[in-house]
Amino acid sequence: MARAAATAQPAAATARLSSLVNDSFARAIFYQLLTAAILVGGIWYLISNTIANMSQRGMAAGFDFLDYTAGFNIVFTLIPYREGDSYFRVFQVGIANTLLVAVIGIVLATLIGLVMGLARLSTNWLIRTMARWYVEILRNTPLLLQIIAWYFGFFNLLPVPRQSFDWGGAFFLNNRGFYFPAPVPQDGFGWTGVALGLAIVASVAIHRWARRRLEATGQSFPSVLSGVGLIVLLPTATFLATGSPLEWDIPVLRGFNFRGGLSVPPTFCALIVALAIYTSCFIAEIVRAGIQSVSHGQTEAARALGVKPSRIMRFVILPQALRVIIPPLISQYLNLTKNSSLAIAIGFPDLVSVWMNTSLNQSGRAIPIVAMTMAFYCAVSLSVSLLMNLYNRRVQITER
Amino acid sequence: MKKSLSLLGAAAVIVAMSGTEVVAQQTLAQVKQRGALNCQVGLPTPGFYALSADGKWSGLDVDMCRAVAAAIFNDPDKVRYQSVTSAVRFTSLANGESDMLSRTTTWTAVRDTQLGLEFAGVNFYDGQGFLVPRASGITSARQLDGATVCVLTGTTTELNLADYFRANNMRLQSVTNENVNVLVETYLGGGCDAYTNDKSGLAARRSAFPNPNDHVILPETISKEPLGPVVRHGDQNWGDIVRWVLYGMIEAEELGVTSKNVDEMLKSDNPSIKRLLGVEGNIGQGMGLTNDFMVRVLKHIGNYGEAYERHVGASTPVGIPRDGSLNALWTKGGLMYAMPFR
Amino acid sequence: MPDEARLAAADQPLVFRPKPERPPPTSSIGVLGWMRANLFSSVSNALLTLLGAYIAIVFFTAIINWALVDAVWEASNRRECLDRVGRAGACWPGVIAWIPNLLYGLYPKDQVWRINIAFLILVAWALPLWLPRVRSKVGIGLSAVLLYPFLASYFFHGGAKDLLWTALIALGMAAFAGVWLTTLSERATGLPFGAAIARLTGAPEDDEAATRTRARIAYAVLYLVAVGVTTQWSLSEVSTRYWGGLFLTLVISGFGITFSLPAGVMLALGRRSQMPFISLCSTAFIELFRSVPLITILFMFNTMLPLFLPVGVEVNRLVRAIVAVCLFAAAYMAEIVRGGLQAIPRGQYEAASAVGLGFWQSTALVIMPQALKIMIPTIVGNFIGLFKDTTLVSIIGLFDLLSMARAVGEDTTWLGLFLEPFFFITMIYFVFCFLMSQYSLNLERRLGAGQRR
Repeated sequence: MARAAATAQPAAATARLSSLVNDSFARAIFYQLLTAAILVGGIWYLISNTIANMSQRGMAAGFDFLDYTAGFNIVFTLIPYREGDSYFRVFQVGIANTLLVAVIGIVLATLIGLVMGLARLSTNWLIRTMARWYVEILRNTPLLLQIIAWYFGFFNLLPVPRQSFDWGGAFFLNNRGFYFPAPVPQDGFGWTGVALGLAIVASVAIHRWARRRLEATGQSFPSVLSGVGLIVLLPTATFLATGSPLEWDIPVLRGFNFRGGLSVPPTFCALIVALAIYTSCFIAEIVRAGIQSVSHGQTEAARALGVKPSRIMRFVILPQALRVIIPPLISQYLNLTKNSSLAIAIGFPDLVSVWMNTSLNQSGRAIPIVAMTMAFYCAVSLSVSLLMNLYNRRVQITER
Repeated sequence: MKKSLSLLGAAAVIVAMSGTEVVAQQTLAQVKQRGALNCQVGLPTPGFYALSADGKWSGLDVDMCRAVAAAIFNDPDKVRYQSVTSAVRFTSLANGESDMLSRTTTWTAVRDTQLGLEFAGVNFYDGQGFLVPRASGITSARQLDGATVCVLTGTTTELNLADYFRANNMRLQSVTNENVNVLVETYLGGGCDAYTNDKSGLAARRSAFPNPNDHVILPETISKEPLGPVVRHGDQNWGDIVRWVLYGMIEAEELGVTSKNVDEMLKSDNPSIKRLLGVEGNIGQGMGLTNDFMVRVLKHIGNYGEAYERHVGASTPVGIPRDGSLNALWTKGGLMYAMPFR
Repeated sequence: MPDEARLAAADQPLVFRPKPERPPPTSSIGVLGWMRANLFSSVSNALLTLLGAYIAIVFFTAIINWALVDAVWEASNRRECLDRVGRAGACWPGVIAWIPNLLYGLYPKDQVWRINIAFLILVAWALPLWLPRVRSKVGIGLSAVLLYPFLASYFFHGGAKDLLWTALIALGMAAFAGVWLTTLSERATGLPFGAAIARLTGAPEDDEAATRTRARIAYAVLYLVAVGVTTQWSLSEVSTRYWGGLFLTLVISGFGITFSLPAGVMLALGRRSQMPFISLCSTAFIELFRSVPLITILFMFNTMLPLFLPVGVEVNRLVRAIVAVCLFAAAYMAEIVRGGLQAIPRGQYEAASAVGLGFWQSTALVIMPQALKIMIPTIVGNFIGLFKDTTLVSIIGLFDLLSMARAVGEDTTWLGLFLEPFFFITMIYFVFCFLMSQYSLNLERRLGAGQRR
């Protein structure tokens, strides 16, 4: 009896141990603790090494350099900047420039991509074939080379300022950039802005009301048309009523180049065009795949129900195609934003070029500068991902 | 995640085991153990660190690397060249990747004091100038108000340009890039009114233009550009080696010792030459080298004048005349002056 | 007469005789008809056609004039080119003189055969995958991905090898021999090499254990022979500093592609894991690496990795770039794999656990094969992206194709030659990427055959 108990005890212990080993919960805890230990150990190891290395090599660290004078010229800044400004200002300039490129690039890429995507589905053989080769050629060469090609193959070959392309004496294009009039608001221009805001609020309200009425009664109301009309007419009327309080600063050729007005350098144009065209290839494929993903039966069913052809596209095809199109589209937008860092190849002062290249080189503070650059891109990317997930949740087909 | 982490961990262990665990203070010991000098040069540039179609590096700055390698190993080819963009040059040196940096780097206070670097001397005195099309009618840099200027980014050139325009109250539009060829193409295409760089580079670039005579170099020199080899801060002995190899080459030229006559000069009675060539004294051993280290350098590389004429002198495509310039010996009115070898 | 004729006709049975078919209107057949249907079907279509044709003609004549018609093909330096055509035509002799460097970098010219042989071996290794009557295709493919790198590394780098390294190189060599022996024996006898040897040495057909033992012995002998050959085989060392050009581009993207797939699968599984901490870590890794441009990652690894490691440890510059590219590619691959996993219906998971498969078994045997099939086009697209992205390593100073193209213009003889080398390498990139994308389309069509009705 005693012997039996003695043998039973280790057996029970083994059983308990084996049940612990086979228990998925316990195993999960173990794996996670292991990962955490490796992670913490690894990070501690890297940090301690970095500190040792930096102190030994006399490298300065910290963010104190942000207040120092940068002292170099930046060819294009969205926000005001002078040579005497601090490094932190350079960082802000870089961010503003990167965001500007991203926004304009995204708008252009979407438009071109949409056109090219539809062209790939065209019934015209030449258009279809050209669209196909447009996509194939541009998608299969590195963007870096394309940016360089656009700069040297086009924007650098434009005429010199004295022989600029001149559109109406106000818009000029030459190899120094694109020059256009700058609006200079006078007193009372604020009212136009207020009117614009009111019009937008009103049209949103109308749209909502129209939608509710459509769902409740089935009667439709041209909310889009009325909204656009409101947004255009109300501010225009206010603008005229307050006596057109806006003047234009028109660029004039003086000395080496045009002065006054607004301008963007050729590197900006080359970067925008290259980014927009390169990304448009991917967008074209996304649009094509999206439209093709809606089965033909949907169109036929809608037609059988007597829905007007213009409404089939808007209410049947597009909502379904968009569900397929939007997620990859957003990731293309993020790619475009990240790809704008290739501006370094032609020297447009985006964040990477002006901050991680020039500023790092002039100040020598590798760690804070690289960290700040990465933090910016992470912030942009993560906030877009967040919005994206919200959208996805809204449009997802609820499975039952 | 776990897998990649453990892979990383394993990689780190392997690297740590195979890596050479030497205290960074002793760069010389590290170089000797490695059997080669890690010398950082720039992206290929004629005259200073040129890369030929058969894959050989040559140039005035490359000769600096070769001279140091010759002093240590008696073999100028024991150099591993690292070609690095200007954006990462200082971090590459400071983080221990290269032993010395010889790539037309301007000696400035900030670089010397804040980046963990130490300048070992000056092997070329340069100055920044402007290149403009002859047709523009510009004869002075003061006329450049409002002009668009092409400039290399991440260099002192970029800062000097901004300073010059600010000091003279002129408007500046700069076109920046880190690739000289991009800037030259831009300039030739009319994308900028002037191209600025160290004057040493301007003449060489102009010689490769379709019509070199259509372009003029403006007379102004808007900055001082003392270019020289750089080492990491904190290893004085290593800095001494690089510095005295450079001074030795300049001293040898002053004393008339060349690669051809160095063997005869070993028998010279001139005490200065005796000390330079290590016949007397033990300057070399004091630095951890052999006393005849300058004999090795002179045999393989030659003196400063020989290196200059070979790579950037008037007879080369780069064509920078030396007589009367800052790079002439101090005895001929220049600034090349070696501290006494004693 | 007419009446008689009518009477005669009435005698015969009334048969419908169709008139001979008239030819279709000239406007709907042949070149003209095709053009009408495909190019000029409406006014707007016609306008589009004319506009498109105009753009295409202007664009192509400009390029052809510069690159071919006005180009200079023989000159000894750039000055000659400029004197002859100025900047209106391309100056190709500079590019031609640099072609060896553009392809192989600064690799010693008398050793270049090693690179060529190694690439030929890769082709030979993968060749059986396209041969009919070869059964062990999965094994051949896996061995090419996992073991070829060892063999290739020795071909590329050479130098002294310690025990571990010898064993790995021998493994690569034995695998290559094994692949071809298996291919030949399967084509001849329908049996893999080991089993064929077992049969030859007289193992009975129904005795599986004996067959397996003899097959193992055969493989062991093969491996020992390979070890013997490896110890006798030595190549001079070529440091990675000399690697460059297209060769380096292929090495970096090759490593990235090979590493990213398994790492991406692990990361995707980690992200979908039930364990919150592991899922969190995987997600953080993926999101971090996906949200920043590759250029910043390369920059960080290049300038900061040496600071992260203990004092005195040197990490090869190429290794740093490869690690950065691999981690970056793995994060992207993880998201692709996750997408593929999400497309597998829950029923598959449930069915797998119902037949008693554990997590790893059901993942490897049921889920992954289906998911990978769905993902192939995206994966190849990602590979193409990776191949193109390797141009960025030029920014940290590795002599890849792009840096080499830049170096041409800094050669004293060809000073300023800039557009020509760029044009040349653009063509190289295009050819590679285009072939990959066409192959992926082809693969998609064949794999999707089961889904079409």
